[in-house]
Amino acid sequence: MRILLIEDNLPIANAVRAMLEARKFAVDVATDGVAGLDYLLRETYDAAVVDVVLPGKTGFEIVREARAESIHTPVLMLTARDAVEDRVRGLDAGADDYLIKPFVEEELIARVNALLRRGDKPVSSVATAGKLIVDTGSREARYDGLALDLGTTEFRLLEFLARNANIAFSRAQLLARVWDYDFEGSSNIVDVYVSQLRRKLRVAGGRDVIETVWGVGYKLTA
Amino acid sequence: MIARLTAVYVAIFAAVLAGISFYAYWLIGGQYRSLLAPALDTPEGQSGYHGAMNHVLVTIVAADVPVLIAVGLLAYALARASLGPLFEARAREQQFAADAAHELRSPLATIATVAQAARIAADPQTREHLDTIARTALDASALIGDLLTLAREPRPGLLQREPVDLAHVVTTCAREFDARARGAGLELRVLASGAIVDGDERRLRELARNLLENALRHAKKTIVLECGGDASAAYLRVRDDGDGIAPGLRERLFQRFAGGDAGGHGLGLSIAHWIASAHDGRLELEGEMPGACFVATLPRLS
Repeated sequence: MRILLIEDNLPIANAVRAMLEARKFAVDVATDGVAGLDYLLRETYDAAVVDVVLPGKTGFEIVREARAESIHTPVLMLTARDAVEDRVRGLDAGADDYLIKPFVEEELIARVNALLRRGDKPVSSVATAGKLIVDTGSREARYDGLALDLGTTEFRLLEFLARNANIAFSRAQLLARVWDYDFEGSSNIVDVYVSQLRRKLRVAGGRDVIETVWGVGYKLTA
Repeated sequence: MIARLTAVYVAIFAAVLAGISFYAYWLIGGQYRSLLAPALDTPEGQSGYHGAMNHVLVTIVAADVPVLIAVGLLAYALARASLGPLFEARAREQQFAADAAHELRSPLATIATVAQAARIAADPQTREHLDTIARTALDASALIGDLLTLAREPRPGLLQREPVDLAHVVTTCAREFDARARGAGLELRVLASGAIVDGDERRLRELARNLLENALRHAKKTIVLECGGDASAAYLRVRDDGDGIAPGLRERLFQRFAGGDAGGHGLGLSIAHWIASAHDGRLELEGEMPGACFVATLPRLS
């Protein structure tokens, strides 16, 4: 497994390299943004760990530009800040996960392993279902060409339904697959999200895109 | 804030202006009536009087409206001039706090990361020392983060909100704490029923975690973690069977560093309180001793 680490703080770069190498990963290190993007575009990596604040190019720019070049290497962003805006910006730029510095070593390894598992089964970043296009690379969803303004979970739910179009899922299945919830309880959180998605799809001209399947749950028709 | 102050200025002036205008109208009406007194009984006199008074009314209103608009603009300029520098100073202060926190956390990140990397090849005793270094740096960084949070006014803009089921927050936190509770010889009882709020899931977990940390330090046998809701509000409740909160401490329980007892840096409850407030909710201490019972009440998703 090959991992690219883009980090300009040398002590941290060396430390993270040691942590990853202790787990038998092969690690390449780039210490500025321009070189980092260059590595990411030229070489093949199973995952990349990218700092946000870098000389040359920020981590956000690196991920955005790599995604524009159709490089879908899973990316873990390292951020020193805990601001909501930074988290949202990182995920919007196309990063797959983020970790706030300083972190616990086990947490870093767990996140990297999770990214590698996700990378195992490569899927296209674009899911199409009828007039609906969901692009996880650029984190954009469009219906009939019109952009949908979606929250993180709304986006995940729509992506899941679009990838599995015409298949009906129960609420419990959706909770397990989209939310990671492992209980059913009396929660109607799925209904809340489905009605929000329906409203936003309707604004873009999409009626009955998500159907209620009586006795089962929901399905997206394509 | 500026808009509110402008509105107050304009409202006061409008009230004064309305008073003066009514008085003028009434005064002029009286003058006219005494002037027209002999003819006032005839139909011509009556219609002449009403026509004149209508004219007076139009003139007064026509004079009032531009004055009121001018006063509105003036009030806005005045409010801006008086409050603007205050806002700027506050924004500068917040920016400084954020920058300072960032600068302090960077070296701590280096210390924590390097210490953790060094322990890979270290002998057991050195490893213990390095663990202490890493843990201390991580704690200090978390403390700075908490202080930075508390330095800001709690408001929804600082949250990443989405519909969240409190039952999910409660069950995940319960799983995290279960082993620790059992290790301390405590029973963690969970009663979760669905309650959807418009919230920041990460922050709500932090709230639950902080209340559980507190309960873990004080409970004797049992901790009860509950959530649920009615039509308008959702609640998350953590109850322990410890000694409860001393009456003297109740007043300043949610202030920074008030707790500061057995373990913890005393910011956990303040942060929990901050998170509840940012969600337009509240965190309260319920009931009397024995035991402490904290309830976070949050508005339900409409």
